[in-house]
Amino acid sequence: MLVAHVRGHGVLREADKGEKTSWFWRLDPRAKIAGIFAFVVVTALLTTPEAVVLALASAIVLSAASGVHAKRLIIAYATAFPFIALASISIFLFSGTERGMTMLARTSSCVMPLLVLALGTDTFDLFTGLRRLKVPGMITTLLMLTFRFLLLLSDEYERMKLSRRARGFRGGRSILDKYGFRVLSSTAGMVLVRASARADRVYEGLKCKAFRKDMIPWKISSLRPVDLVFLLTLAIVATTLAIAQCGVLT
Amino acid sequence: MSALELRGVTYKYDDGTLALKDFSLLVERSEKVAIVGPNGAGKSTLLNLLAGFRMPFSGKVLIEGRELTEENADELRREVGLVFQDPDDQIFMPTVEEDVAFGPRNLGLDDIEGRVKLALRSAGIESLAKRRPHRLSHGMKKRVAIAGILAMDPKTLLLDEPTSGLDPRARAELIKLLKGMDKTMLIATHDLEAAAEMVDRVVVLNVSVVTQGTMREVVMSREVLRDAGLELPTVSKLFDMVSGMGYPVESLPVSMDQAVSEFTRVIEREAKLMGEKRGRKNRGKQRSPDGD
Repeated sequence: MLVAHVRGHGVLREADKGEKTSWFWRLDPRAKIAGIFAFVVVTALLTTPEAVVLALASAIVLSAASGVHAKRLIIAYATAFPFIALASISIFLFSGTERGMTMLARTSSCVMPLLVLALGTDTFDLFTGLRRLKVPGMITTLLMLTFRFLLLLSDEYERMKLSRRARGFRGGRSILDKYGFRVLSSTAGMVLVRASARADRVYEGLKCKAFRKDMIPWKISSLRPVDLVFLLTLAIVATTLAIAQCGVLT
Repeated sequence: MSALELRGVTYKYDDGTLALKDFSLLVERSEKVAIVGPNGAGKSTLLNLLAGFRMPFSGKVLIEGRELTEENADELRREVGLVFQDPDDQIFMPTVEEDVAFGPRNLGLDDIEGRVKLALRSAGIESLAKRRPHRLSHGMKKRVAIAGILAMDPKTLLLDEPTSGLDPRARAELIKLLKGMDKTMLIATHDLEAAAEMVDRVVVLNVSVVTQGTMREVVMSREVLRDAGLELPTVSKLFDMVSGMGYPVESLPVSMDQAVSEFTRVIEREAKLMGEKRGRKNRGKQRSPDGD
């Protein structure tokens, strides 16, 4: 369902088990977010091909070492690739192949660690990490609730899809199938109606539990030496990239 | 002072549908009351009124002796814990224990760890503390929702269709759990069999009160139940048939325990009658040779 859409279709559950025992999965979410964002910011500022190649190599090493299932990562990257390519296409057209390739490599170097972060961290841990990094509670709470209820809505949509199929509906495969489109649009409308009804109930559910504004995580982890080593490593990589950008290495 | 009181409450939806009309109810502390009625009878509306999510069109709602108003609804909601029909509407946090701790943390209560442990134990889900709630079965999610409310230590539990969507085993376990809890409870359900096992008193609702009393009293008024669109519990139906066959059934049992004792009574009475019949026959036989 939604998790599968976000994290790659048809990926076996067994892959999850391996990932959840990997060193990257067990890192404190704050260390992961801070380290990867620092790397991404530095990479986004690189312009020289040498520095960008170094960043791409670092991103690939991080992806390989993280323990995130390769197939999932490739699927997620492939899903993101049209957007990456779109960002580079105008550079290819107007500034030449070399700059276009640099743009493509730079965008990939930014996207890959972010995918590793998304796939190698439990979604709620990610929001918890953001909250603990002082991101406003309103934003993290909205993200948490949105994610939680997107899953429920996705389940609801799946049920409606099954029910459609159980009643013999096979339409919507051609753009000329007006009836099919009418059915699909009323299904989408029904999901929205149900979403609205559920939103009301969820709001009441939150009020029942004396909710005010913020969903603060109860049990929180503390930074361990391994988190600091991770942060330090990414800091060294980021510094090296910055030095490479300034041309010191060449 | 009673735990809950409704005085002449009337509630209408925006589209003009009358959900409750001149409804009055008094629930004493530690009493367990079931509100039974068909779909659309106003059961869920009643619970929403008690939880302060809706305000009555006319009449009064009193929680622990205090009148519920829009101003004090948030405060009085602490006294009543509403468990929704669909637990997915009430579970928000990534792990079971985090979800159970959610309410007490919002209320700023002390000893959250202890409260969470106690609530999980009371709901019989200690072993699920670290699990992801959205991956649990419907029955287990119901328990998580109940534990989340129990952790806030409300004086009264309001349960909306607690047994709906549960398989027979989960249903039986939940009934046992609720039966064993020492709390004031108001249970909205159309499951008469489950209600029979859990509550002291039943109110048959169909927009207004149709009848009320103990479950045994209510099942005896079959016509009223039929008019309200309710079915007798299976065990009561069986004894209704037995009674129709001429066996002397004093009152219709509503639970298995009652059925066993009623059956025992019927069998003992029949055995006694048979014994007396046989005794008379034997005495007759003994008398006839002397007479010859």
